[in-house]
Amino acid sequence: MQNRSKFIVLLGLVGINIILLTACKDQTNTTKTTSSSKSQLPVDLPRQDILVVDQIFRYSVVENFNLWMPGIPSPTKQGLIMDSLWYIDQETGQQINSLSTASPRYNKDFTQMTVKLRSGVYWSDGVEFTADDLVFTVNNLKSNPGMLWSTELELFVKEVKKVDNYTVIFELKDSNPRFHYQFTIKYNGVWMQPKHIWEDVEDPMTFKFNPPVSLGAYEYADSDPSGYWELFKRRQDWERTTPGILTGKPGPPYIMSVFYGDSGRKAMAITRHELDMVQNVDYEAFQAILKKTPTARSWYKEFPWAYPNEQSARYFGFNLGSETVLSNKDVRWALTLALDIVDLQTEYIGGVARVTAIPHPASPPQMELYHTPLEPWLKELQIEIEEGIFYHPYDDAVPKKIAAWARKQGHSIPSGAEELRLLFGTGWWKHDPEIAERLLLKNGFTRNRNGEWLTPDGELWKIKMIVAPDEVEIYRLAIGAQDQWADFGLKLEIETLQRDPYYNRNLMGEFEAISSWSNASTGDATRDKWQAIFGLHSQFYTPIGKSTATTGSTNTLRVKSKEMDRIIDELDQIHPEDDRVVELGREFMKLWVENMFSIITISFKNFTTVDQYYWTGFPTNENPFVQPLYWFGGGRFTFQNVAPAAGNTPKQ
Amino acid sequence: MNLLKSYFLPRLSQWLITILVGVTVTFILPRLLPTDPVERTLSTLSSLQTMDPRAVESLKEALEDLYGLGGSPFEQYINYWKRLIRGDLGPSMSAFPTPVIEIIGAGLPWTVGLLISTIFISWILGIILGTLAGYLPKNLWCQIMDKIFISIYPIPYYILALILVMSFCYHFQVFPLVGGASGKPEISWSYLSSILWHSFLPATSLIVGSTAFRFIMAKALTSTIIASDYVHYAETAGLSRWRIVLFYVIRNTLLPQATDLGLSIGAIFSGTVITEVVFSYPGIGYSLYMGLLQADFNLILGITVFSIVGIATAALLVDLSYPLLDPRVRYK
Repeated sequence: MQNRSKFIVLLGLVGINIILLTACKDQTNTTKTTSSSKSQLPVDLPRQDILVVDQIFRYSVVENFNLWMPGIPSPTKQGLIMDSLWYIDQETGQQINSLSTASPRYNKDFTQMTVKLRSGVYWSDGVEFTADDLVFTVNNLKSNPGMLWSTELELFVKEVKKVDNYTVIFELKDSNPRFHYQFTIKYNGVWMQPKHIWEDVEDPMTFKFNPPVSLGAYEYADSDPSGYWELFKRRQDWERTTPGILTGKPGPPYIMSVFYGDSGRKAMAITRHELDMVQNVDYEAFQAILKKTPTARSWYKEFPWAYPNEQSARYFGFNLGSETVLSNKDVRWALTLALDIVDLQTEYIGGVARVTAIPHPASPPQMELYHTPLEPWLKELQIEIEEGIFYHPYDDAVPKKIAAWARKQGHSIPSGAEELRLLFGTGWWKHDPEIAERLLLKNGFTRNRNGEWLTPDGELWKIKMIVAPDEVEIYRLAIGAQDQWADFGLKLEIETLQRDPYYNRNLMGEFEAISSWSNASTGDATRDKWQAIFGLHSQFYTPIGKSTATTGSTNTLRVKSKEMDRIIDELDQIHPEDDRVVELGREFMKLWVENMFSIITISFKNFTTVDQYYWTGFPTNENPFVQPLYWFGGGRFTFQNVAPAAGNTPKQ
Repeated sequence: MNLLKSYFLPRLSQWLITILVGVTVTFILPRLLPTDPVERTLSTLSSLQTMDPRAVESLKEALEDLYGLGGSPFEQYINYWKRLIRGDLGPSMSAFPTPVIEIIGAGLPWTVGLLISTIFISWILGIILGTLAGYLPKNLWCQIMDKIFISIYPIPYYILALILVMSFCYHFQVFPLVGGASGKPEISWSYLSSILWHSFLPATSLIVGSTAFRFIMAKALTSTIIASDYVHYAETAGLSRWRIVLFYVIRNTLLPQATDLGLSIGAIFSGTVITEVVFSYPGIGYSLYMGLLQADFNLILGITVFSIVGIATAALLVDLSYPLLDPRVRYK
């Protein structure tokens, strides 16, 4: 009986060992399959004809292309089949004139905008795009409240007139130097509707626009009824579309978006060569991809790999909507100086992002406009730590310190100051717990016997911070702050929330502290800070307990500042190309930093990854000609530049 | 007539009350969530496009109107019942204007197909193997089975599922990574075989886990039954082992097994979120999960109505079928 049991256990162990050994077998030597080999993709097409891209979520709505309705998923497809007047390339910051041939022309008081349209652009059913389509789109959206852009167009447009087939004039109800932003695409914007289709639609709200008449270089081919994938086919007449006209390149015969799920599954798909472009994966999955797939890479070929130029930054924010110890700017400065950004950026983020001290993303064009010109001011900046005693908190040696850490890890890092800034960002605030302590003592804080901080009321000082763990970086930053502030004698309690309740609590102001992104620290790839800060104006101020989403406010931290209102008011009145725009942007950033309304830490980074097994021509750090953010509206130009890799000959 | 009054009518009334209470509670609960569908839509929109803060207030009003969130909660409740009776579950708020019934219709066949088949397979396998293991405890193969199922049972389902994905989608790239089938739905061998191919791993994961559970249950029940006088009597009378197992042992363990089967089938309308996520397999569970996160009141209600009706009906049918399975249960 005993022998039998032993035999069974032994048998089980042998079986498990076989499975594990097989599973651990390194697959890097897998032979390259021939380009005509059959893949396990869910469509019956030659693999070498399809560019497979990461679909960033599973669609609950399929075969509905009415992207003018809220709720219809748009990523990737909006770039493939829709079009609008202008795009802002998120990498270069340059405006791309798409359906319009030039920038909009305003009259002196910004109450009239004239648009010149491009000729020779055709809908996929062979009808030419003209001023009639633009005029119809605006009027159609205006008359259907609930459709996207309807309320904005109703609010601003008095009349839209066709002058000729390629000229349209907008008469505006009030002065608005940024009205063209409605038609300027970063991710989304007013997409054109084919008048010859939509004018016969009885109910534009429920119309599915299926099959869609495309104005992009691709047209809809097929999709999964369960929302896992969509397939688009290159138009025969792609040269009569703006991506074709502007790039002169055809792009892949098919583009397919597939939702694979989490980072681990995306890594598996890349290893199987069933995914060519990925929006983002976590650090660990990216390392697994590099190990298993020699043809894969992200923005940089080597460390720090990740794409660092998406237009936002991370921050630790404090709820300033009610009077607490955190309402005191000295306290916020003390918390800042108790942080060690080099440790945060390296040990918690892996050294793969740029640090930024100001509320703005540190992408190269933005650094040129804001970070670099503000550096002398940052170096001169002083805070009063005790009466009459001032302190320079800025540390411009941060990039060098991060580089030293990276070298220790065995990475090859250049030594030039400018190159280091491009890799790791500008300076940040000194790690100086002693000064932080003096700031707190100045404001009535004390330490107990255990070295823990007590508030001026004698209570043990604890801060509660909300975080969404699936927002990996902000979670890791929060853990870093928890460790570092614990060393300083402050207890940070982290409350983890699923993403939706986390967003909701953020909008409602139901938090004491938050690790987050967006807010004042976003950019638009342009020089204009208006989009990020207009919602901070006190006219939209939303008290705690009411969602900022319903009032137009972006002021989730409930900051109150008359000086900020002055900056925003002036900015609102001038054209984005006015020289004063950048000056006002810098004034805003100085105000934010002086008051330390939030502690900005690092710029956004994405492990936007490509596999060059079947396709090449992706933008990279060596050739940053266009944004790699293919899921944005401007992805239409990214795709167009993708070409077959060596040895891959598309059949079509 | 007496049977109808004393046995069927009370159970039908209970079924009806369960559904009424279930739907009412499900109507109230999402409205207590901190998330609001209009706020969520506005929040999503503001992160995707240029939204002038001055236009937000009017957009909010337009969305409330579109989503049917105007009027008092009581009016909304009455309107909901009116729509439900007409078979209209309303539009999804997170996927507006898509009707909820369309979303359910897209996911439900996958969930039902996968779960019905796996439940039946694991139910039959579990009962047969568990009964054999209970009846023949000294048999080597039964002991091996016993050890295997007892080892498998405590493994959390998602670990088992991940092992299958890692083994057969990554290290041995045998099965597809995503979806329920290849190509458009059609009645053809290639489409049907692709369904079988895509569902193989998710089905295996479900069958292995639930067979283990049913094996243990059947073995435990059998261990009690084989000590019964009628089994000893059958053995003494020289009946064949198969006859004893089939007609004396399995039949007498069927009552709890039938309850398990009925309730498992009733619960399929809630879907299996983990299976869908780990295997990227289509179904209704993920829609319900997203509906909950996005405070999509109509979608939550729609799926839950199916679930409530499914479970209540299954419980009713199981209850009504007891006397058929076991003559000792009377219609009283």
